[in-house]
Amino acid sequence: MADTAHTLDTTTLLDEAAVRAAAERAGGGDASLDTRLEALATFRDTPPPDRVRHLWRYTDFSRLLPESLEPAGPLAMPEIPEPPDGGMVVVLRPGAPPEVRSSDAAREAGVRVLPLGEALEGEELFGTVVPASHGYFEALNAAAWDGGVALTIPGGVHLERAIRLLVVAPDGVSLPRILVVAGRGSEASVVEEHVGGGEATRLVGVTELSVGEGANLRHTVLQRLDAGARAHLTTRARVARDGGISTVVASFGGSLVKMDLGSLLAEQGARSEIVGFVLGEGRQHMDHHTVHEHVAPRTWSNIDFKVALTGRARSAYTGLIRIETTAPGTEAYQENRNLLLSEEARAETIPELEILTDDVQCTHGATVAPLDEEQVFYLESRGIPGDEAERLIVRGFLEATLSRLPDSVRTDVEAAVEQRLKAFEGGHR
Amino acid sequence: MKNEVVFSCEDVHVFVEDKEIVKGVTLEVRAGEKHALMGPNGSGKSTLAAALMGHPGYRVEGRITLLGEDVSEMSPDERARRGMFLSFQYPVAVPGVSVANFLRAAISARRGEEIPVREFRKLLTEAFAALDIPRSFMGRYLNDGFSGGEKKRLEILQMMLLEPVFALLDETDSGLDIDALKVVSEGINRVAGDHMGLLLVTHYQRILNYVRPDRVHVFMDGRIVRSGGPELAHELEERGYDWLAPEGAAVGGAA
Repeated sequence: MADTAHTLDTTTLLDEAAVRAAAERAGGGDASLDTRLEALATFRDTPPPDRVRHLWRYTDFSRLLPESLEPAGPLAMPEIPEPPDGGMVVVLRPGAPPEVRSSDAAREAGVRVLPLGEALEGEELFGTVVPASHGYFEALNAAAWDGGVALTIPGGVHLERAIRLLVVAPDGVSLPRILVVAGRGSEASVVEEHVGGGEATRLVGVTELSVGEGANLRHTVLQRLDAGARAHLTTRARVARDGGISTVVASFGGSLVKMDLGSLLAEQGARSEIVGFVLGEGRQHMDHHTVHEHVAPRTWSNIDFKVALTGRARSAYTGLIRIETTAPGTEAYQENRNLLLSEEARAETIPELEILTDDVQCTHGATVAPLDEEQVFYLESRGIPGDEAERLIVRGFLEATLSRLPDSVRTDVEAAVEQRLKAFEGGHR
Repeated sequence: MKNEVVFSCEDVHVFVEDKEIVKGVTLEVRAGEKHALMGPNGSGKSTLAAALMGHPGYRVEGRITLLGEDVSEMSPDERARRGMFLSFQYPVAVPGVSVANFLRAAISARRGEEIPVREFRKLLTEAFAALDIPRSFMGRYLNDGFSGGEKKRLEILQMMLLEPVFALLDETDSGLDIDALKVVSEGINRVAGDHMGLLLVTHYQRILNYVRPDRVHVFMDGRIVRSGGPELAHELEERGYDWLAPEGAAVGGAA
């Protein structure tokens, strides 16, 4: 069924006054304002997403768009965990500088955490991984981000513990922006956790990650927004020579969520892995897109993306692998599996391969399968109640992927999975 | 209690969509008794076993009781928690769920409370040893990539751990070589004891050399056509099933 035609007057959403107001709220000097005004120009030149184009075929963009950029009312703050020894917790919320809780060890290691506005004075990487021209929502964020943080892990530093970024959504608009720079040869783990929100939440977030030569960065995105929230998150990593990024996405919350995740394998020997867990129930609508763009020789990528849905939940997964002529000797793999626990749940899976050179190894696979009733009956015949049987089966479905995660990340993701599954309604009968 | 009726079914009919597969079965099993339900392939034995356990794919008419309680309307898990057990002819693989996690969930469900870790370990160790199953199976995914014989041993292991009051064993001997058959049969005999009722569903008489039935029922075309003592099994072994076929049933079932 065709959606009602939607006319949008973008000038009322975002004008120069709004950009200046956002700059003031988020803090930052002239350099920050200049980049915002450039982004505003880009935003004005960028047409709203076209639903005919594949990336927006499954989700009505206008439902993700804030109606205005008026700041939301007071924010309900969650409990902020103390950082473990060697760790760091950063809280990001609109209209306030990032709040940093750091253990001494993390401080001594030289990790720099700056409000993004300040970092922009000397940071050239802003907007290079996700430029304003990336798309409509990214341009909006670049012009009007209202809370931002820049994390720099200096070259050679190996962090034992994860840096935890707690991104708190208000029951209204928020446009967080995160920049992570992993210096040459560094090793670090960043957990980006989205929490909070409500019916009025319109989150438009951008995360840029720059992985230096020989660096290894783990990026875990835990999307645990409250029911009703709507979010659009764009995450991109640029990976330099022999560097690697491991992204784990656990997307469980919100009512309407679109995520665009990916890596640019920019220099030879770069590696990227994306592991995804999506759990949807009720009327949740989840739309996830991954991109692996290989432009340099002997680069490697892998995607293992799992989706389990119950109720009337919807999921669309589109996975693009692009291998340029400049990327011989590349390996790229992609697998998306979907498990449907109810008759009414629906999942789409669309692999897209654009391979422009012959010297590659590339495989992809996709499945959408209903819950196996014989598995449920088998477990029930042992006394295990139906809803618990379903949870076991879903856990089993995720297990092969979970078991590949390093312990530190696995603990976080498993806890989130368990908590989510507790609330999963029985769907199969 | 010995001699107590642990299981009964009265005039049970089973339908798949509109097709009647089981056409009225009445049976009573007492504690300590072993019954064999023997019949040719396609007679509806497995359908009856799955339907008695509450398989959602079947419509069942008639009354099924467990320890005197009517369980006809209960879900499979409720029946199981009250002590009914079905050993599957084809145990289902559940990838990603380890044998140990599954067993802990099942035992805890049957008991109505979490089994303490130490007790669980002890129970498991004993049961694995009794059925000659390598301990490494605890960490493997449930029935995933198991051989036919391994699956059947694991079924009997579950029966051992869940201590049912009434167990249906569907073609437990199929897929077993003679050594495995002995191990599995010993396991069954050990669990059966005085308090449990057993219904062995089988095509062949072979397993009955190891698990001695008290009663034998011949099941053909959805009905029990004859019941008798253990000697009936031997008679079937010699003469086959045809001589017992109900009039006109040999060619696909009369009403």
